[in-house]
Amino acid sequence: MAVLHVPALLRPLCGGSDRLEVAARTLGELLRAADARCPGIYDRVAVDGALRPELAVAIDGEMQSFALHEPLGPGADVTIVPAIGGG
Amino acid sequence: MAATEHPSYKVIGTRPVRPDGVEKVTGKAQYGADVRLPGMIHGKILRSPHAHARVLSIDTSEAEKVPGVMAVVTRADFPVAEDVVQDLGEGAVSVKELSDNVLASDKVLYRGHAVAAVAATSPHIAEEAAGRIRVEYAVLPPVLAVRDAMREDAPLLDEQRVTKEMGGQGSGRPSNVASHLRFAGGDVEAAFAAADEVVEREFTTKMVHQGYIEPQNSTASWNADGTLTIWTSTQGAFVVRSQVAEVLRLPVSQIRVIPMEIGGGFGGKIPIYLDPVAALLSKKSGRPVKIVMSRTDVFEATGPTSGSYIRMKMARKDDRITAVQATLAYEAGAYPGSAVGAGAMTMLSPYNIENFVIDAYDVCVNKPKTSAYRAPGAPAAAFATEQMIDELAKNAKLDPLELRLKNSAHEGTRMVNGAVFPRIGAEETVRAALTSPHYRSPIEGPNRGRGVASGFWFNAGLQSSVVASANSDGTVNLIEGSTDIGGTRASLAMQLAETLGLPFEAVRPTVADTDSISYNDVTGGSRVTFASGLAVYEAGQELRKEMVRRAAKLLGVDEAELVYEDGGVQSTRDATKRLRFSEIAAKAGQTGGPIAGKGAVQARGVGAAFGTHVVDVEVDPETGKVQILRYTAVQDVGTAVHPSYVEGQIQGGVAQGVGWALNEEYYYDESGRLLNASYLDYRMPTALDLPLIETVLVEVPNPGHPYGVRGVGEVPIVPPLAAVANAIAEATGHRFRDLPISPRRIMEETQGLA
Repeated sequence: MAVLHVPALLRPLCGGSDRLEVAARTLGELLRAADARCPGIYDRVAVDGALRPELAVAIDGEMQSFALHEPLGPGADVTIVPAIGGG
Repeated sequence: MAATEHPSYKVIGTRPVRPDGVEKVTGKAQYGADVRLPGMIHGKILRSPHAHARVLSIDTSEAEKVPGVMAVVTRADFPVAEDVVQDLGEGAVSVKELSDNVLASDKVLYRGHAVAAVAATSPHIAEEAAGRIRVEYAVLPPVLAVRDAMREDAPLLDEQRVTKEMGGQGSGRPSNVASHLRFAGGDVEAAFAAADEVVEREFTTKMVHQGYIEPQNSTASWNADGTLTIWTSTQGAFVVRSQVAEVLRLPVSQIRVIPMEIGGGFGGKIPIYLDPVAALLSKKSGRPVKIVMSRTDVFEATGPTSGSYIRMKMARKDDRITAVQATLAYEAGAYPGSAVGAGAMTMLSPYNIENFVIDAYDVCVNKPKTSAYRAPGAPAAAFATEQMIDELAKNAKLDPLELRLKNSAHEGTRMVNGAVFPRIGAEETVRAALTSPHYRSPIEGPNRGRGVASGFWFNAGLQSSVVASANSDGTVNLIEGSTDIGGTRASLAMQLAETLGLPFEAVRPTVADTDSISYNDVTGGSRVTFASGLAVYEAGQELRKEMVRRAAKLLGVDEAELVYEDGGVQSTRDATKRLRFSEIAAKAGQTGGPIAGKGAVQARGVGAAFGTHVVDVEVDPETGKVQILRYTAVQDVGTAVHPSYVEGQIQGGVAQGVGWALNEEYYYDESGRLLNASYLDYRMPTALDLPLIETVLVEVPNPGHPYGVRGVGEVPIVPPLAAVANAIAEATGHRFRDLPISPRRIMEETQGLA
């Protein structure tokens, strides 16, 4: 099972939960599975088959603008974060 | 002094002469202002005298009559910009807003906003003609300060803008607040209720500029075949290509960007300003067109970093920081996109704090659109956090570094955004600061004080590519696409030399243009030595394998019995069978042709950076002048590839941070006119203002890089603001929570004149 840490602004979609455990082999599957339990969460995070450009995802601490087909390992730890830029 | 965990290297960790040094000290290095092309003419930009106004009409007819004028452009010459958000290199960018910032359409949103441009046979004629363009404005009231802009009755920069909240919308009412983020964990109310002490404070910082020496410049040549060549000063040639392509609606393959040597950037040379304008002037005139900004243009119209307002409440129980509640509001400038999200995500990162709620607001104001500045968003946030921790430590009679150590983040700690830290060196930097000669020395004398502060920056990975080609004399050409701001030609060449077992001098690095190397993201996010270093390592490994294959042919043995070691190929069965790299390279033509390796990565395994700083100050009670007596910066640098460059990065970051703390600010009048748009009035520290900044390099290797590399360039600007403020608090007995802590403010506060 992968773990999705739900961002604070999206927790109202999940009944206040800050953490979901879902079965998923890819990032996209994880977001779809989360959407089944928290309707609307997928569209808040992804658009046109990709992460929203202003967002990034951290998978097991690795922060990137991953494709939704990014594979998840067993027990993957996933967080959704604002994209950042450096100077 | 350095604390070291890594294995011993032959090249990494040495201090060779920089490969670009001779050209720079002899004046041969070519910067954008040096570009001279046959038939080249010069462009000037007409800028708005108003901070907020509607553009009713633009009449260019008088300008066009000036002898020597060859082209005039306004926004009407630009393609209609798509209203889409795209990742154009290092973060999401609205193409319409990018285009509007390059040349205003219906509204000007800050004084200095570009409105039109002229190209003429001399810069003076262009300037004279630009002054004859008649622009009719309907002047609107400006809003200049972040909290004013958040008021419901504030003048709106964009009547259509509503607050975004992570893919959704806030109230739905038009607002200058472009976005709201929230990070929350644990139970702050319970933690506040159970605390020994709770403090709540407000902090403000002013908009400040990166202060690079070289103004923005661009030379564009629109060629007869429809292709476009741009020579420019940039932190990312490929990002210029992408952004110009979007603004002018051209395919990227039609644009070639040649990055010139760069006279500083610090994040400010990621956005484009002049390139599309020069391109269209070139298209209209049929000549290459060069535009160089004045210093006033740079201050008024390029991207500084945000002014900010932060309110923070922090709880302590025993020696643990148990809860934080914070609100951050950052000035985005004319268009959305401040670094408030990064500020919110970094502000507690040196610590392991269980309970927190952080709200972050990105707010548009009538000032230039902000851009990245070294660890964007983090210094202002640390200014708040690190003063709060200092106050809690003093109130509880705890050593401020010991309190930090007790609460330090470590491997496995979650950031406020939920991401888990891998191996990091946060604790190590605090320990090294505690045991540093500076911290262990007494500070004596009246009006003197010592301050400490810690800081964090993520660092970035992103995309990099390189090609390494062996020459017949045994040297290697290393072609890369990352602009060299802080010594990356050296740090990449050193990593390739280490990988190949060659001396540093055998590798000759060159930064190529966008037609000559695969895509590279910007030089930013402290990423190049790390990410392009990974690409270099990959290219080096490919070269090693190819060298083994070629050596097998030359030695007449099976590849399987050969290994690459110590700059050559060696038989594992016969010690006499060995060929040096140069011997194999010299016979490439007999063994299969040119020998080259490439590396192309989307880098993973980024190592975060932490620093802890110690500063001693003396405050003149009669003038309020602050003298920095001693400064020590401790930083986990992963592996110091070229320690002199690493130390230079740290010292540069500290110098900028001290300027931000003590003097620097964008100073506006009520109409939105910047009153200090020159280095005469915008006070940056000079060598006379600073002592030698001592550095302590802690090396906790990044497990995500074969040589343990972490980015080092940004985090050193994070702690100085708070460290200096904490030192001044100890020296004067007064807390300063508004930057800059200028002599005037010190006198007002200490003499009760505020």
